[in-house]
Amino acid sequence: MRDSDAYSVASRDIVFESFDGEAVVLNLANGKYFGFSDSGSRVWQALSSGVDARTLIGLNAGGSTLGAAELEHFISQLLELGLLVPSEAAARPLPGELPAELAATSEPLTVSTHDDLADLIIVDPIHEVEEPLGWPAVKQAS
Amino acid sequence: MPRVTLETLPDYARYLITAAEEAATHYPATRTVRLPRLELTAHVAPGVLADALGDAFVEAEDDLAEPSTCRIFTVHPGIGGIPEPAQWGDAHFTEYGFAERLAGAGLRGHYFHDLDFWQVYDPERHIGVQLMTSPDAFPPWEPTAPLRAFLHWEYAARGMRLTHAGTLGANGKGVLLAGAGGAGKSGTVAAGLLNGLDSVGDDYVLIDLAGGVTARPLFSTLKQDPQGFARLGLKQRLRIESPLNWQGKHTFHIADIAPRPVPAALDIVALVVPHIGGGEMSSIVPVSRRDAMIALAPSGIMQMPGERESGFRFFGDLTRQLPSYRLSLGTHPEEIAGTLADFLTRVVS
Repeated sequence: MRDSDAYSVASRDIVFESFDGEAVVLNLANGKYFGFSDSGSRVWQALSSGVDARTLIGLNAGGSTLGAAELEHFISQLLELGLLVPSEAAARPLPGELPAELAATSEPLTVSTHDDLADLIIVDPIHEVEEPLGWPAVKQAS
Repeated sequence: MPRVTLETLPDYARYLITAAEEAATHYPATRTVRLPRLELTAHVAPGVLADALGDAFVEAEDDLAEPSTCRIFTVHPGIGGIPEPAQWGDAHFTEYGFAERLAGAGLRGHYFHDLDFWQVYDPERHIGVQLMTSPDAFPPWEPTAPLRAFLHWEYAARGMRLTHAGTLGANGKGVLLAGAGGAGKSGTVAAGLLNGLDSVGDDYVLIDLAGGVTARPLFSTLKQDPQGFARLGLKQRLRIESPLNWQGKHTFHIADIAPRPVPAALDIVALVVPHIGGGEMSSIVPVSRRDAMIALAPSGIMQMPGERESGFRFFGDLTRQLPSYRLSLGTHPEEIAGTLADFLTRVVS
């Protein structure tokens, strides 16, 4: 049983940058990249820096109040996408400026996945292989 | 046939570099190319690659900075002292794991399985080896941008970056055109060149972030699919007889259609994301930096071997320094060029 509901970035292959409060996340290992809504960007930044997820519930975000179910769904997406893992480390407190930043957002919590580099990876020098088989079983475009 | 695994990869890379250096007296030809801040010396056999080294680059004739040097051996077992290329011996291969293993040993590298084609580079000594099974056993994209991987590693080590973007400019100021293949970069660059604008490249350009965003030319090659080639009037103008390249595109050079010699640099004032608009007229509107970053960074990072995290950070810094716009492309090359020329005038003023 964890003392807090904190998370950390899943691996050092997951890198992210923030632009005017909007996050772009890239998985360096497979080329998939991720875009967030404005509220999703703020929540991603909080969760990826170790803020206890429970402290976000009830804050104003995306034009409504952030509910436990909505947050849980968002976190399960981030876990499934391999972007976050549960953390045993002590949770960090809610940054003082975050409630106001979240309140200023207008979009619901969403994360979108982009894997349109698959064509590039297949045709130009990088190979993607069938994971269980390894090389020389090159993954075929679906 | 030796087999290389992740475990033995760094030793194999160093072995190749030593073997290539020890065979230095056996190389049939040497070519030197002056690039921005870099003098590239390549030892190469006569043939398609040697020809590409002669005509695929834009030489930096007016580069006043003292260049550093790098030396690349393009070798094959027909040269005395050069071994047969090894094959990959691990069951599992990922480009990323391969690059990470070499980076841990201070090296860079790439392996193209289909041809047992190896590229390894020591950025500290500025020496690299391209090992092929025979003089012409290289991937089909190599002649368009020869030794691209080595330039990527050398410039990345110096804080600069080969960037997957097109460029257009006027009077020394320009825009970066960002987007994955098919977004309209090459057609936009060709339309601009045909209508009085300058360019320092339409596929890979060298970006330096010291003192603003500066784009410099490396490769002179332009590409167009047959439809774009015809639409731009290039079929009549260039009368190219050579076969289409491996992507089914015509290849030609900036100088074939440029109004002036290629400038040594463009000061980049905006990041522009083109897309096929569907309307007759072009338009340019602001776009979020997030969307501009997504258009710019992933394709450039994933097409290049190694240096992925540093690339992501670099493109993040680049995106923060520039205003970002979306360009909806109209249908007339002259109108597209005019829209961009007017936009440049507005942004610069």
